[in-house]
Amino acid sequence: MQNSEKKHVPVYCYQCVSGPDLMRVEVEKGVATRIESNYDIAGAHPAGGRVCVKAYGLIQKTYNPHRVKQPMKRTNPKKGRAHDPGFEAISWEEAYRIIGEKFREVRAKGLRDESGFPRLAASFGGGGTPTQYMGTFPAFLGAWGPADLGYGAGQGVKCYHSEHVYGELWHRAFIVSPDTPRTNYVINCGNNVEASGGVVGIWREADARNEGTKRVQVEPHLSITGAVSAEWVPIKPKTDAAFLFGLIHRMICERGIEETCDLSYLKERSNSPYLVGPNGYFLRDPATEKPLIWDDVDGTAKPFDAAIGDARLTGTITASGIEVGPDHQVWQHADIEVKTSFQLLLEHMAGYTPEWASGECDVPAETIRRIADEYVAHACIGETVEIDGRILPHRPVAVMLGKTVNSGWGGYHVCWARTMLAVLVGALEVPGGTLGTIVKLVRPSASRTGSCIPGVDGFMKYEFNDTSANGWHKSPDIRNAFDTLIPIASNSPWSPALGPAHLPWLFMKEPPKGMPKQTRPDIWFCYRTNPAISSWNAPEVAERVAEFPFTVAFAYTMDETNHMADILLPDATDLESLQLIRIGATKFFENFWRHEGWAIRQPAVDPVVDCRDMTDIATALAEEAGILEAYNEAINRGAAGIGLRRKGYDYALDPTEPHNRDTIWDAVCKAASHDTSGGEEVHDLAWFKEKGYMLTDFPELDWYLYPRMEDQNLRFEMPYQERMTRHGRELANRLKESEIDWWEAQLAEYAFMPVYERFPDIWMNYAREYDRDPAEFPFWALTARSMQYSWGANVGIPLINEVANNIAGHKGVVINRTRAAELGIREGDRVILESVSGRTEGNAVLREGIRPDTVLMIGQFDHWKTPFAKDLDLPSLNSLTDLSLKLTDSTGSGSDIMRVKITRAEDWSAAAE
Amino acid sequence: MTASLPPRWGMVIDLNRCVGCQTCTIACKHHNATTPDVQWRRVLDIEQGTFPDVQRFFMVTGCQHCEDAPCVPVCPTGATYKRDDGIVAIDYDQCIGCGYCAVSCPYHARTIVKDQNWYYDQETVQEQAVAQPERIGVAQKCTFCSDRVDSGLTQGLTPGVDPEATPACSASCIAQAITFGDWNDSNSPVNRVSEGRGLLQLNAETGTDPQIKYLYETPAVPGREIDATSDDDRRMDPANPLVGKRQEFWDWRAAMNWMLGGLSSGFAIVLYTFYVTGALDAATLARGNMIAVALMAGGLLSVFLKLGRPERSWRAILRPHSSWMTRELYSVSVFFPAVAAGYLWQAPVAFSVAVAAAAVFLLCQAQILYKARGIPAWRAPLIPYMIVASGLLEGIGLLAFLIGLPKGFPIELTGIATTAIVLIIINAVLWKSYRDGATHHGAPPLARAALAECDHAIRYGGHWVPLVLFALTILAPQIPLSIFTIAGVALIGGGAFWKWTVILRAGYFEGLHLPKTPQRGSGAYAAPARLDGWRRDATSFGDNR
Repeated sequence: MQNSEKKHVPVYCYQCVSGPDLMRVEVEKGVATRIESNYDIAGAHPAGGRVCVKAYGLIQKTYNPHRVKQPMKRTNPKKGRAHDPGFEAISWEEAYRIIGEKFREVRAKGLRDESGFPRLAASFGGGGTPTQYMGTFPAFLGAWGPADLGYGAGQGVKCYHSEHVYGELWHRAFIVSPDTPRTNYVINCGNNVEASGGVVGIWREADARNEGTKRVQVEPHLSITGAVSAEWVPIKPKTDAAFLFGLIHRMICERGIEETCDLSYLKERSNSPYLVGPNGYFLRDPATEKPLIWDDVDGTAKPFDAAIGDARLTGTITASGIEVGPDHQVWQHADIEVKTSFQLLLEHMAGYTPEWASGECDVPAETIRRIADEYVAHACIGETVEIDGRILPHRPVAVMLGKTVNSGWGGYHVCWARTMLAVLVGALEVPGGTLGTIVKLVRPSASRTGSCIPGVDGFMKYEFNDTSANGWHKSPDIRNAFDTLIPIASNSPWSPALGPAHLPWLFMKEPPKGMPKQTRPDIWFCYRTNPAISSWNAPEVAERVAEFPFTVAFAYTMDETNHMADILLPDATDLESLQLIRIGATKFFENFWRHEGWAIRQPAVDPVVDCRDMTDIATALAEEAGILEAYNEAINRGAAGIGLRRKGYDYALDPTEPHNRDTIWDAVCKAASHDTSGGEEVHDLAWFKEKGYMLTDFPELDWYLYPRMEDQNLRFEMPYQERMTRHGRELANRLKESEIDWWEAQLAEYAFMPVYERFPDIWMNYAREYDRDPAEFPFWALTARSMQYSWGANVGIPLINEVANNIAGHKGVVINRTRAAELGIREGDRVILESVSGRTEGNAVLREGIRPDTVLMIGQFDHWKTPFAKDLDLPSLNSLTDLSLKLTDSTGSGSDIMRVKITRAEDWSAAAE
Repeated sequence: MTASLPPRWGMVIDLNRCVGCQTCTIACKHHNATTPDVQWRRVLDIEQGTFPDVQRFFMVTGCQHCEDAPCVPVCPTGATYKRDDGIVAIDYDQCIGCGYCAVSCPYHARTIVKDQNWYYDQETVQEQAVAQPERIGVAQKCTFCSDRVDSGLTQGLTPGVDPEATPACSASCIAQAITFGDWNDSNSPVNRVSEGRGLLQLNAETGTDPQIKYLYETPAVPGREIDATSDDDRRMDPANPLVGKRQEFWDWRAAMNWMLGGLSSGFAIVLYTFYVTGALDAATLARGNMIAVALMAGGLLSVFLKLGRPERSWRAILRPHSSWMTRELYSVSVFFPAVAAGYLWQAPVAFSVAVAAAAVFLLCQAQILYKARGIPAWRAPLIPYMIVASGLLEGIGLLAFLIGLPKGFPIELTGIATTAIVLIIINAVLWKSYRDGATHHGAPPLARAALAECDHAIRYGGHWVPLVLFALTILAPQIPLSIFTIAGVALIGGGAFWKWTVILRAGYFEGLHLPKTPQRGSGAYAAPARLDGWRRDATSFGDNR
């Protein structure tokens, strides 16, 4: 690298799920000195080409003196927090040789062990961001064969889990977003978009706010997002479903559907008019098994896709047909009284009055009514807008959900209610309304609208995991059993992480009855993740990690997970390595672009330590494993982001030879540019290194699913959950046949329409699992996203810590000021937080913007090994939560919440003495 | 406004847009290579109200590049100056690190870093590459990225429009909350973004006319008048970012200059007064003045030791036209030789010049503190009078102290006790008025609390005890002369103590005052309901493309 000149190297930042953002690294005399936004893309980027605070930490990340400086091997066979691993420096060749021996040993034994589980496992950090840095490592995994990717590091708890699965099923919404530039009214239950929405989210939301969009933030503590919302409604934790049910009741039961609903949308784009038989399943045409709709024009029941004059929405009708239940149980009906699914919705919601909701969620009934009325008033039912020449409904209202709201128990209820609120006014997937941004479970993964294709019963296609007697996986593919227990998790590369990703850690301690023996993987790869800190009950997970026989950790600095590793491989960090990735289109969270294309991350500086690029490491590992040809072919097929050999071009690599990093990515650059330009522009690696990115147009119309739905006469699978319930009941049959009884509470959650439970009681009563009195633990402990930290794994970077501390709460435990005074707690006092299963401690941060029954810990930072972070003395909810089936819902998700008690440290010490 | 006027750079901060993400802060740190914990651009996390009626918002702060910048005239070297385009700048090579500008800033925008430090436990090559050693020991603050502005203009770019020519905070802001531009150009972004909208200035009542102005309302939601009577508990909470911190720029060494400087100059004035009235002979005056010189030199040496760059201290003589600190040095430069001449030749002219210089010195001390506009407890109108009155009282205290010493001090005692009593009463009245008027003059609650804590000691130890003792000397002339010494100690101690209290303990910064805030939050703070009111047009999106 030339050392003389000052230059600005274009790269991308993808530290958080809201990336990528393009930036330039100023390099002077070979030293990376500054980060700045790449303003070249300002005109095409939805946020003016800017990068957020996290990107600026990358310089210090690069030059962190605490970096692992060369490969290391463990010398102390004893593993655990208390044991010094005794790492010794070794050469890369030595490291590859040790790993290669293990590879050959494993492959000789077979890729699956005696329980049928993959002998190789790999864990990555959340949100898919590690993929943007791991070069061709996915090709290595693809070439290897079966691998267990289901050991979570917080997935299922820290994510938007119910939204991921239900959202993808209902409207291709792995992540949901308002159509912010057009939305006028947003009800936001705890979604902290101003901290998590990245550059684009903040940019768009600020525009909307300034133009007058009203957002009502419903959450127990006044988050960053709540702070900049028009109104904060301090709701009791985990009661959002009651609040949302109250809104629906107000709309359809109190005010009536004629006044509040988009009736044509309900009739044509939902299953509202589908007739439902006495057993709860759709009444179907006996010949075609298609669900029936009652046509009021000629007074007959017709298949949903027939020409229908005026579909009946409400009431009771006499009709004939069949019902198809679980395991294809069929009921024949002749001239019986049936109801539409919408009629059942009306009856279902009748009891959920605002007064009832108020008693549950601590929000006044008049507030619930007002918010429902505001929502309807802003919905503009009947209005249209033209997008790219097409007339679409204009419904500028949206409902958003936060992570703790929509993960764990109650997640189904809130996701359903949120989607229902959109469907009622015709605001789902239309301009101004509630949209999905990306798909991860359905195909093709690169095109959300392209995945909108017909499936059964007039709905979009969705592949549930098989629950039939013949197809059900009694023996799961991987240890977290997502394919066995979670039908809705589907079976895509993302499904293992979406399954119950905390269950393997729990099953290791408490083997589940009726399931294969919970073996440890022979080899575990760990990349950009720290489950011993970021998981539910992290201290417990740290103990389990120590039980793994052979762990290879890609290591930046020492941390709590690689403390247990056998081999440390220092991979080149963000500014030292190379990769080309897709950018643009629509992504989480608010990334709605009018362009799509590719961007490069390239070495801005020479490696600072003896590290190697992930692509070169993957190639070396493939050679050691004897799978080089399969590895190269995986790259040729598209494991590096795009197929190198497609119709119209062939940039494929010779599969028999190892290729260096630049050769591989040069081929990817050519394929990507060829594909993007239709062959008109083919650019090599050198071109991308200079220009940084390449774009082509992405139609704004593809922000919305509605046009595709309308073109194919498809319906959103709302409000009635016939298909899902059928799968649930089939799963119940399978588990019963297998004498598995520990999933029954989860099975009970499958319902045609969600029935409210007192969700807070689940956590309040959890104390009884430990024979403790719930009254001992009077506070709700929560966590929250942080703009400076979320997904960044950057708590070891002092610059980030410095600026994050300008935002209240980063320095400790946020407690309501008045409540703290009652407890004798002053600002800065050291406090101990205890749950039934753990404890953590931190300094009291007194605020008014938090309910008196709630405490908040931003971040999960009670590190004990990571340099710098371990000296911050910060608390973490992860030390208070528990790995438990009791706290796991039917989608395999838990919630980031726990009941705790608070004691001043000095009182706690005195009591201990 | 026309574009033909010279530029007047400024900023508009939109309180409705800012989300406290800290991108501006960190971008500033990158561009300007500031060291750990130095933030020229800081974003505060502000909370108001009491649960369940709460409001939270974020506020970008830093140097306001005031039209009437209090930091500029006080600078004794000219290191701090205002450019023709309105940017308040610092010449690091001229600054001596006296901190006067820092305590004069109502926005607590300045920092002095004494020693180079690093983010990790060792220096990184990047920190080496961007290090700015010239900033050690001197004042530093936001420059409006004048390097970017200047180089951008040279390249034909427009600051505020072209990111390369725009301050790093504004160019990096991901909420478009920070707009930079030329107030003198009606087409400039600052004027366009604020057209027809209410603007406010921080601490506008201080009269500094900041060139950073804040937007607080949106087209749909008007702003709210802030509750001026908000409870003192929150205004006494150091965790509240609106509450000013206690200044640390002037420590005990700086306070010593007021203690010894007031005492010495007051002593010289008192001695001369008694000399003129015949109560004191010339030789004694000459000897006494030498004591004053020693004390004054001690105070100045003390200040010298706290300078960030003492080797450049001579530069403090460069701003006589505006800085009372420079004027103080000039008075010293007259006082010392005049006293020396008086000692050598006992010439009445030398005595007169010396006392005049001492008086000017005392006046300078009074003005230095009073002109430090960042500290409300110092800029109270009574402060100059108090410094002068206290200096005279301390002077007579020193005289009384010397009278009572075993070797004595050859002076006619008639009138000393009476003069002391009169001065004590004047000082007591001034102190009480100052204390009573502290709220009126804007002293923040923490400063008032500090004053209250020390009030008894000052009133009883510094006023009542010596008053009674001096009264005794009048009522009982036979009383031992040592009473004078005790009374003198009380006066000197009392004077030193109130100055120590005001300068160190009550030296709280102004804090930040906002007349209005956005309207949002919970309960009473929530924005008004808009059932059928304002709504955004479906096509307005086009404006944002």
